[in-house]
Amino acid sequence: MGKINLTALRVRQTALNQYASGKIKKLPQWVDVVGEIPPAEALIRNRTAQHQLVRQRIQTNPEASKPQVVFEVQEKRRKPKKPSRLFKPVELRYEEDQLRQEFFRDHPWELARPRVVLESSGKDFENHDWSRIQQPGKRLDGESVVQRQLWLLNNVPDMTKSAAYDIARREFYKLRLKEDIQRRVAAEEAQATGANFGPTYLEIGMELENQQHEKWKAWARMEAQVMDQRAVSMSGAPELNMDKEAEGPESIALDEGATEQ
Amino acid sequence: MIVRRFGVRHSRQLLALSRRSPISSRFLSTEAPITTQAEATVESTNPLHEVVQATQNPKSLAQKQFRKEEQQRNKFNKLGSSVTESHDPEGILRNPPRPSDITLELLLAAGTHLGHSTSRWNPQNSRYIFGIREGVHIISLDVTAAYLRRAAKVVEEVAARGGIILFAGTRKGQKRSIVRAAELAGGYHIFERWIPGSLTNGQQILGHCETKVVNALDEELPEFKADLADRSSIKPDLVVCLNPLENVVLLHECGLNNVPTIGIIDTDADPTRVTYPIPANDDSLRGTNLIAGILGRAGEAGQKRRLEMAREGRTLYKPITATELRLDPFTGQTAQTAGGEQAKEQSAPQTKRE
Repeated sequence: MGKINLTALRVRQTALNQYASGKIKKLPQWVDVVGEIPPAEALIRNRTAQHQLVRQRIQTNPEASKPQVVFEVQEKRRKPKKPSRLFKPVELRYEEDQLRQEFFRDHPWELARPRVVLESSGKDFENHDWSRIQQPGKRLDGESVVQRQLWLLNNVPDMTKSAAYDIARREFYKLRLKEDIQRRVAAEEAQATGANFGPTYLEIGMELENQQHEKWKAWARMEAQVMDQRAVSMSGAPELNMDKEAEGPESIALDEGATEQ
Repeated sequence: MIVRRFGVRHSRQLLALSRRSPISSRFLSTEAPITTQAEATVESTNPLHEVVQATQNPKSLAQKQFRKEEQQRNKFNKLGSSVTESHDPEGILRNPPRPSDITLELLLAAGTHLGHSTSRWNPQNSRYIFGIREGVHIISLDVTAAYLRRAAKVVEEVAARGGIILFAGTRKGQKRSIVRAAELAGGYHIFERWIPGSLTNGQQILGHCETKVVNALDEELPEFKADLADRSSIKPDLVVCLNPLENVVLLHECGLNNVPTIGIIDTDADPTRVTYPIPANDDSLRGTNLIAGILGRAGEAGQKRRLEMAREGRTLYKPITATELRLDPFTGQTAQTAGGEQAKEQSAPQTKRE
C-alpha cells in the first residue's frame, strides 16, 4: 500500500478479518490483549515542544522590602518560523550553556582532567546543594564552577554574571590549591609508611635519552674509525696514526676537522 | 669490567642475605641460658623463646631494615580507607527492575534519551523527540517511559495467556540480556542472525526442531508426541526486537504472519515496522539491557499469574482439547477420540542455542 506499511499496526484487524473469512480457525491468544492495549498512533505529527531560554534573577527594589524574583524570557524572534519547520524539533538551550562555554574557554586544560560521566541511579543531583561549591560524591571540576555560578545568579540579589564568575572561580582555585597540598602530603605519608612510587617520568625520560646517547657514541666511534682508516690508506703511513688512535675517537675526529679546514 | 659489574650488582644482595655466622650463633646459643630461675622457666614453657630472642637482636643491616618495615606495616596497615564499588554494571542483568520501577531518572542514567544525529532522523519519529542538543536528537523520556510501560503490559498479558514470546537482539553484546529476559519471561531468544524464512518457510528451516505438548502447568504430555509429527512449525505470539534496524526481515516476516511486535525505535528507525514501538536509544547496551530486563520482568509476572491460575484450574486462554490435537492437520478427520485432557501446545523452536 504505497510508501507506508501499516501491517504491523493492524495485526488485530487482520486477525479478525482472517477469522471472519475463515482463513484461520481460531483467533490468536493476543487478539484481546492488542484490543485492550491498542498500539500507539503513528504518523500523527504533533507540534514539537518549544523551548525558551528562561533566566531567573533576584532584584532588590528600594520600594519593596524584600528582594523580588524576576524571570527573564528571551524575546521571540521577529521573523516567524516557516510553516514547514513547524513540526521540527527545537534546539534545547539552558542558561548554563554560555557559562560553561566561557569557563572552558578560559580554562581549556580543565577538559583534560578525567571525569566521571556515569550515574548508577540518575539521582545524583538530589545530593547536590550549590550554595557551596564542594559536593559529596562529586569531584571538583569545571562543572562545579558552572553550577555554583548559576546558583549565585539565581539566588543572590543583584548578582551579575562576572561577579558570580569571580566568586565561583575564587572558591575553585582555593580548593584546587588545597587538593594539591593534600596530594603532596599523601605522597609523603605513603613514602614514610613504605610506599615506593618507582622512577618519576623525568627519570624515565632521562634514562631513555641516555640510551640514545650511548647508541650515538657507539655509532660515532665506528664512523671515526672508518674515516681514520680511509685517511690512513690514502696517506700510506700507518705508524703516524698509531698514537692518535690511543688518544680516543673524539680527538681523532677533531683533528680531522682541523685538517680539513 | 663484567666482573666488577657483577660485584656491584650482587654484593648488595649478598649483604642482604640474612646469614648468621656460625661463631656468633654458637655464642648466642651458649650465652642464652643464664642460670637464673626465672629465665630457665621461660625457656621451658616457651619453645619459641630462642627464636624470638634471635629476631629481637638483629645483627645484620638487612635484618634491621626488615624489622623496621615489619613494624611500620603493623603500625600502619589499619590506616586508610577501603574503596567500594559504587556502580554495579552487572546488576541490571542479574536483577533487572520491574515495570513499576520505571522512572525518568533510571532511563536517563541508562542513556535511553540519546538519539542520532539530526541529519539521520526519520521524521515519523518527531512526536517522540524532545529537542536537539549538540546536533543530536534527544528522545523525550516521559514518552519512552509511557511506551515502555505499555509494551511491558503487553508482554505480561501475552505471557499470562500462555503465548510464545520471542526475544531477538542480534547486536554484539546483547546476548546476555536477551537470554536473561527470555529466561525470566519463559520465552525464547535469538542472539545470532535471524534465518530468513524461519516464519514464512518454517517447515523447511525449523521442521527438524523438537516440539512438545504441555498441560496448563507446563508439564510435558508425551502421549501426544506422535500427533505433532506433520504439523506446521510453531509461530510466536509476540516478538520483542531490540534492534529493528538490523532485523527488517524478521519484522517483515512477522507482518506477513500477523504476529505483533515490540521494538526499540531510535530516531533513525521506522516506527511503523513494529506494533508497539519503544522510542529509546538502541545503541547503548545499558539502555537495551534495561529495556530487555524490564520486559523480561513483565513476562515473569505474567507467567507467574498464569501458573497460579492454572493451579486453581482456571486459564485466561481457551485450551486446545485432546480431540482437536488428534485431528489430522490435512484432512481434519478424527483419528481417535480419547480423554478430556486439556493441553496447550508449545514448542522449542530454533532458539534453544546457548
